[in-house]
Amino acid sequence: MKNEKLLEVKNLRTSFFTHVGEVKAIGGVSFALDKGEAIGIVGESGSGKSVTSLSIMRLLQYPGKIVEGELIFKGQDLVKKSDKEMQAIRGNEIAMIFQDPMTSLNPVYTVGDQIIEAIRRHQGLNKAEAKKKAIEMLRLVGIPSPEKRVDNYPHEFSGGMRQRAMIAIALSCEPSLLIADEPTTALDVTIQAQILELMKDLKEKINTSIMLITHDLGVVADVCSRIIVMYGGLIMEEGKTEDIFYNPKHPYTMGLLKSIPRLDLGGKKRLVPIEGSPPDLLKPPKGCPFAARCPYAMRVCIEQRPEYTFVDEKHRAACWLLHEDAPQIEVETGVVRRRA
Amino acid sequence: MNVNNHEILLEVKNLKKYFPVRKGFFGGETQYVKAVDDVSFHIRKGETLGLVGESGCGKSTTGRTIIRLYDPTAGEIIFNGAEIGMMKEKEMLPFRKRIQMIFQDPYASLNARMTVGDIIGEPLEIHGLATEKEKMEIVHDLLKKVGLAPDHAVRYPHEFSGGQRQRIGIARALAVRPEFIICDEPISALDVSIQAQVVNMLEDLQSEMGLTYLFIAHDLSMVRHISNRVGVMYLGKLVEVADRNELYEHPAHPYTQALLTAIPIPDPDIAKAKKRIILDGDVPSPLNPPSGCRFRTRCKYAMPKCAEAEPEMKDIGSGHMAACHLL
Repeated sequence: MKNEKLLEVKNLRTSFFTHVGEVKAIGGVSFALDKGEAIGIVGESGSGKSVTSLSIMRLLQYPGKIVEGELIFKGQDLVKKSDKEMQAIRGNEIAMIFQDPMTSLNPVYTVGDQIIEAIRRHQGLNKAEAKKKAIEMLRLVGIPSPEKRVDNYPHEFSGGMRQRAMIAIALSCEPSLLIADEPTTALDVTIQAQILELMKDLKEKINTSIMLITHDLGVVADVCSRIIVMYGGLIMEEGKTEDIFYNPKHPYTMGLLKSIPRLDLGGKKRLVPIEGSPPDLLKPPKGCPFAARCPYAMRVCIEQRPEYTFVDEKHRAACWLLHEDAPQIEVETGVVRRRA
Repeated sequence: MNVNNHEILLEVKNLKKYFPVRKGFFGGETQYVKAVDDVSFHIRKGETLGLVGESGCGKSTTGRTIIRLYDPTAGEIIFNGAEIGMMKEKEMLPFRKRIQMIFQDPYASLNARMTVGDIIGEPLEIHGLATEKEKMEIVHDLLKKVGLAPDHAVRYPHEFSGGQRQRIGIARALAVRPEFIICDEPISALDVSIQAQVVNMLEDLQSEMGLTYLFIAHDLSMVRHISNRVGVMYLGKLVEVADRNELYEHPAHPYTQALLTAIPIPDPDIAKAKKRIILDGDVPSPLNPPSGCRFRTRCKYAMPKCAEAEPEMKDIGSGHMAACHLL
């Protein structure tokens, strides 16, 4: 695959200006996404992963605001676009699917109408053509007898089917970038498996770049080739999926991997939780946001924010332990790779 | 922990819970949602039975019926030799302090207008277990036990994070020194790094206080971790029960097999190599479940017999029970 950049996020800072003060939801985030690539953004609630995607979509609502940074999409800065210009991009070039398929469809319009709306708005097809395309899209996402289902209302669809319909709307204009914010969190495991298979399959078929936002490490392990780990509004570590799982460099990534039980390994081994709770972003810590919970924290971690250290070209982590002057500590790393 | 020799604490026999749904404006025809339909199992003293299944399978209704938040439609609930399923509220009261419950949503299950101390102390008052002075002492002890500080007692729930609220919910359940706790999805609303904290605490409390758990969850990895035995439910029926490792390594029911392969594994090599059994379609409506075996509409092994007769629970070796015509 050619390494052609589709999206470049440069030093993005987003804050919410509430009556109690400025909540620094994202405190300076930079990353890039190539054409046709699937990237996973992993983090807990409040880590800034959803705010990152809303910033890219320019869907932040009052009191949220992009304070600083550039969002270079196909060579143009989205931050500088007017609302009207964004409307032509949103749903057309960049599409998004949300966590809750129950509330993201309009209950008073048929599913077909909602797909047709997106197609007609951006592609200028007439009603009959758009309906044909809508049926085609429903078939693509695996809705049985789409000719009939196109006239159903959302309440006549099950949760899994609604999420499929959302995907159909999102993909109807063949976007270059699909942002999926926790697309399977509200679904049951067997339905989640269906949706994940569908997303992998569609990625091959229509060559869309995917940004998958989730808290579930199992989901990204399967779908994404690269992973960004966020915490406290910052990127803690970024690397290829294999590097993040088998060779994590940031103590937060290691902690996350250790705190989840492994179904395939069995055994009643005690879980290793990350003690404490996430930082208050009203008063973000001066140093590393993870320092207060980090078992390896040193004085410098509390006082100064670490720079990124590059392990290799694609793998970086923000941790003082990786500094050349840092003490060498035996750390227990991530998942033990079981095949060579 | 070997709990095989211990006596049975709770036995559920042919439990049914139907919810009426009225059709039409003037009553008319009444249909029933068969949320729990003929479910039987037992839990031994000191053990953890995990109950898994997808939404709408009846796992939470089972838990809520056992603790009598719902009255059972039919069947028996035998706790420590006493039939509590049909007991009147007054007779039930002494049992209420022996069976407690931890709820899923730590935001909705704590009264926002009460202090943490009042929340944890309320069960003590209801059961007349402590004087006002003793109460505060017990509350402080409980807070320490669940990893919070005694001075948290004067604060209100909104001052705490999700994980801390779940600890408060656990302290409230422990206040009356119960023998049996029903944990209804106690960790699914929490962040990954906090889940492990709460699960470790539940395990510590179990060994310390000799508790018995019914652990209801949809996260199969966590259920394997915490349970001794696991039951799988589908559309109101229990389809398989077995020892933890037996169930996960040798699942017998086609539904259990599909459910286990559907779980995403946080290990890229394995995730990429793994073959998923993808179930088609969705869970049918519990208003009008399929005849015979309820899983047959999504089962790739379904035979004509599956539509005709409902499979019985069979012991397929050393307590591994499954309900499938293939066995």
